[in-house]
Amino acid sequence: MQFIPLLFGMTFISFVIIQLAPGDYFTQLQMNPEISPQTIESMRRNFGLDKPVIAQYFYWLGNLARFNLGESFSYHVPVSFLIGQKLKNTLALSVFSIFFTWLIAIPLGVYSAIKEGRWQEKMMSFFAYIGISIPSFLIAMLLVFFAARTMVLPVGGTTSVFYINATGWEKFIDYLKHLLLPGIALTLAEIGWLYRLMKNNFLEALGSPYIVTAHAKGLSDGRIYFRHALRNAVNPMITIFGYTLSSVLSGAALVEIITNWPGMGRLILDAVLSRDLYLVMASLLIGGVLLILGNLVADILIAAADPRVRLR
Amino acid sequence: MEKMLEIKKLEVSFRPAVGESVKILRGVNLSVGKNESLALAGESGSGKTVTARAVMKLLPNNMNFEKGEILIRDRNVMNLKEQEFRKIRGKDVSMIFQEPSSYLNPVFTAGSQVLEAVKGDGPGRKERTIKLLNEVGLKENVFYQYPHQLSGGMQQRVMIAMALINNPGLLIADEPTTALDVTTAYGIVELLKEMMEKHGLSMLFITHDISLAVNFANMIAVMYAGRIVELAGAGEILNSPLHPYTEMLVSCLPEKYKSGDKIKTIEGKVPDFRDLPKGCSFHPRCPYKKEICLREEPGEMKRGEGIVRCFKYGDFVEA
Ligand SMILES: Nc1ncnc2c1ncn2[C@@H]1O[C@H](COP(=O)(O)OP(=O)(O)OP(=O)(O)O)[C@@H](O)[C@H]1O
Ligand code: SF4
Ligand SMILES: [Mg+2]
Repeated sequence: MQFIPLLFGMTFISFVIIQLAPGDYFTQLQMNPEISPQTIESMRRNFGLDKPVIAQYFYWLGNLARFNLGESFSYHVPVSFLIGQKLKNTLALSVFSIFFTWLIAIPLGVYSAIKEGRWQEKMMSFFAYIGISIPSFLIAMLLVFFAARTMVLPVGGTTSVFYINATGWEKFIDYLKHLLLPGIALTLAEIGWLYRLMKNNFLEALGSPYIVTAHAKGLSDGRIYFRHALRNAVNPMITIFGYTLSSVLSGAALVEIITNWPGMGRLILDAVLSRDLYLVMASLLIGGVLLILGNLVADILIAAADPRVRLR
Repeated sequence: MEKMLEIKKLEVSFRPAVGESVKILRGVNLSVGKNESLALAGESGSGKTVTARAVMKLLPNNMNFEKGEILIRDRNVMNLKEQEFRKIRGKDVSMIFQEPSSYLNPVFTAGSQVLEAVKGDGPGRKERTIKLLNEVGLKENVFYQYPHQLSGGMQQRVMIAMALINNPGLLIADEPTTALDVTTAYGIVELLKEMMEKHGLSMLFITHDISLAVNFANMIAVMYAGRIVELAGAGEILNSPLHPYTEMLVSCLPEKYKSGDKIKTIEGKVPDFRDLPKGCSFHPRCPYKKEICLREEPGEMKRGEGIVRCFKYGDFVEA
């Protein structure tokens, strides 16, 4: 429950920072000769932006308590509507990439730790090094370029032209096809460091005294690797998993923007640039909630996996 | 008589990340007979743990066997494949360690870790485990507890149960009480003696504490810089030590003080394996050194039941 004050603190500080910076969304509108200063003033009043910052924050908070995230300045629709559309796509992208990143990186990390110093490990670590060195946007750009050249994957958007006549199943497959490009880009961007982390954890576990005991008992290598070392190597990864969940928004943003995947990334970027206050606040709030959820999931999983945590 | 363990001219070297490889064990000879206990004593860093781990063929990755033989129950195991030797571990020879807290796996229950050591999967494995836990002085519920829920002494008892579950002939105990407080340590020593009696166990008991060594074992091997410098019965070691190093160790024992004596500590320090003194490696600390000690290495000389390596007892030079 300690996260409720955390959320308050986080949103309050962000709100104040956003609003204390000179100018607001309507300052840009003032440049537009077609809009009269009176109109702008009344719009400001409408949103309560003529009041002190603290009052504005509590106005936002009061609305939030009634599940009203406010209205977007630039789109003139409720923020919840905008976000609802985009969040779904971001979550789909994140679930896709988290699933495949972990599915591939964990076994490769273990395999490579077992083969430490041999060519298999050297090759994999080399590729991981490359993957970690290339920034995610570059990976995304290369993939977009490749896809556009070869036409094997659709680029941009979530649907094809024939979408309207498609059956539910066909729509799903079509969606997945569009998800593939940003999904692969994000997976490639994340897989290197996760592999490296898992490998290092496994190596550390293998170097522990309890592994000597396991050998001294005469256990087989398989049992030592997959029972004694693996269980210990996985524990720190659980915290990482929670952390991954909480950084879903920021992690996917760059890739979304470059592959033109209609997720939260573009929306947040535009909102920040145009100082669309309520949209920014809602995005921050979602980020905060994800952070808390991620930590919560990590706490629960780690307690389930580690008796030292579960039984104090 | 059948020997449970015999080590002949064992040499082990350490290969540092940079630089030349360094010899750590320099021709170790040891043997443990049936129902016998041999204590391996010596200062920290003299090579006791390396000897023990060499017998288990569990040397750290950066150490290599150079020469020598290891026989377990009169069977030379040096050239056995890992596959084959694995069958010997836990069954013919077991080992317990200095820090039970880190040598037990933190994420499994004590019981499952003992149970797992059972060779073959006949029925009644769990009953056997619980019975042995009782025998080493633990209640049944310890079976279901995790290492961090147990005290250091209880953890060491779990380790002992784990080591003895297959009734091995030989147990190597590497400073099993060093990490424990005095009373707990006493309990563990008593338990080990009891287990020896009951199960006809032979033991290689490693300690840096010479008084514990003479209390525990019938034979004492004193190690210095990767070599056994003296082997003798416990009584001889205590009352008439031959080697100057043994003499030094024994003179530091509290029961050797006469009133008015200053408390003695061992002078000098353990030599660096990378840069051992020429000749007898003990000579920089030796009050009896003579000219030959600086030039030549003393060889093994028989003295009664045991051996000694020192030019005080003849000019036998190491080949
Ligand atoms: N894993 C290792 N890597 C490098 N050197 C090692 C390793 N283990 C031991 N050594 C070195 O080998 C020598 C003998 O060490 P060993 O652990 O056998 O001493 P010991 O007699 O057991 O001492 P202690 O009473 O401290 O346990 C020491 O010089 C030590 O520095
Ligand atoms: S050989 Fe010489 S130096 Fe070495 S212990 Fe004996 S007397 Fe001392
Ligand atoms: Mg040691």
